[in-house]
Amino acid sequence: MPLTINNYADGILHGVSFEVQRGENLIILGANGVGKTTLAKVLCGLLPSDAVNIGGMIPSQTYSEERAKRINYIPAKMEVFDSYLSVAEFLSLSHFNQTISIDEALSKLNILHLKTHSCQTLSSGESQLVLTASALLHSAVYTLFDEPTANLDPTRMKMLFELLKNDTTLPSKIIITHNLDLAYRLGFDVLYLKEGRVAFHGSSEAFFDQTHLDALYGSSVQKVNNHVVVAL
Amino acid sequence: MKKLLLLTSLLLLAAAPFFGQIDLPLDKLLQSGTMEHQVFFELRLPRVLLAFLVGGILSLGGLVFQVVFRNPMSTPFTLGVASGATLFTAIAIIAGFSTFSPLFAFLGAMLTVIVLFAIAARFQNYDPTALLLVGIALSFFYSAALMVAFYLSTLQESYEIMRFTMGSLDVVGFNNIWLLGMVSGLLLGLVYHYRKAFQALLTSYEFAFLQGIHVKKLSYTLLFGVSVAVGVAVSMTGPIGFVGLIIPHILKTLYRVSADKLLWQSFFYGGIFLVLSDLIARNLGESDLPIGVVTSFVGAPFFIYLLLQRKS
Repeated sequence: MPLTINNYADGILHGVSFEVQRGENLIILGANGVGKTTLAKVLCGLLPSDAVNIGGMIPSQTYSEERAKRINYIPAKMEVFDSYLSVAEFLSLSHFNQTISIDEALSKLNILHLKTHSCQTLSSGESQLVLTASALLHSAVYTLFDEPTANLDPTRMKMLFELLKNDTTLPSKIIITHNLDLAYRLGFDVLYLKEGRVAFHGSSEAFFDQTHLDALYGSSVQKVNNHVVVAL
Repeated sequence: MKKLLLLTSLLLLAAAPFFGQIDLPLDKLLQSGTMEHQVFFELRLPRVLLAFLVGGILSLGGLVFQVVFRNPMSTPFTLGVASGATLFTAIAIIAGFSTFSPLFAFLGAMLTVIVLFAIAARFQNYDPTALLLVGIALSFFYSAALMVAFYLSTLQESYEIMRFTMGSLDVVGFNNIWLLGMVSGLLLGLVYHYRKAFQALLTSYEFAFLQGIHVKKLSYTLLFGVSVAVGVAVSMTGPIGFVGLIIPHILKTLYRVSADKLLWQSFFYGGIFLVLSDLIARNLGESDLPIGVVTSFVGAPFFIYLLLQRKS
């Protein structure tokens, strides 16, 4: 059940094509406004396009649990209208994977104490962790994460990194991020978008080669002690 | 607190038919053929049931609209269904068909629903805000048309139209009650049937979509169901404002649970609220106050009080 996008184009993206096999992970990098979130929304069907195909299914034209089981998108921010919808209720909405319980998912992210809280009272970091828990309970074949660490403190960022690195619940993780060290340490394949096109799609090693980094970012991104550091 | 409220409400519902301009002694009430018997069974009882069912439809309709539009200001009248009914009633009155005015009101409400969804079908994507704006535009259009109707009407006709816009729970016999009971049952059944997906609508369009839900189809189904039920209700009573706005909000503040768990409560307490308002309308002055006036007079200050409570 490969995920493919074939020559997709709109106002921002110009002819994007690539393929991800079930079991493969991917990091999507690129400057602000280059179209990463747009690409994610196209892939999961939120933006209609017949250029996307997951094992013979066009996500934007399918409405069923079957689509939900194939692809999921975790946005950068949680959006909940109802003032009293609790974290547990929110999570039960995407509880497709019955091999993992809501308590287990919350415990994995160290947020079991938030279970009965109303979603609207969560801080941005807490809601990001709840969203990640929902991704585990949902367990789609392909899960797109849009900047999953953007609002996290260093401790929780480290925790989420470990989780993404060691997780076996989600077959394929596609992660949009600006955190280059996260991208490097995860070691997943990298897709780099530039001016609406795929400028690089290959292994982590090839992308994080110092000469390649110099070509992309000038001298401001350096590898120090096996970490990728942004020199400010 | 909640049990006390439920108990009080049930008592109120049971006692409501016994209060009114004429005292009804119990012994005469049970004797068929007496005037008291007739007043009770032909006027009072149907009136209380009418108030209860209409209040229930308006309140549940309000809850559904607020969730579907993810807008706390939405009411079952937001899409112009009530204004459509009012305009067509005015047309019936001016054209000399005032005996058929409920039928005209119903046609006006349904025509509005059809026009709305015909326009919605032309939208490229699902866009609840655009639908909301179309509804508001339609309402303004109807208001203007109603002004023309007033301008063309005689004094007597103007008065009749005016009375319709104030709402009235006058009813004789049970014919309308059966119909309304059926409509209420269908509406409750429809919302209850979709309650799981309805819960997903409490988050956001995107989240619900990602769970595999056809948000557009579900939303339009719910809006359509509510609009038809509200159309039937309004054709019998005229537009009764405020019930659909405040009851869902009051219940949320009281129960502190998500909206999907308030379906029955919305219907029940919406009904109770209108029964209570009608009791006030029937017993306060020499003659009945228009029901719409009472709901707003009682509802608006209480609503503001609740909002202030929430802030502190």
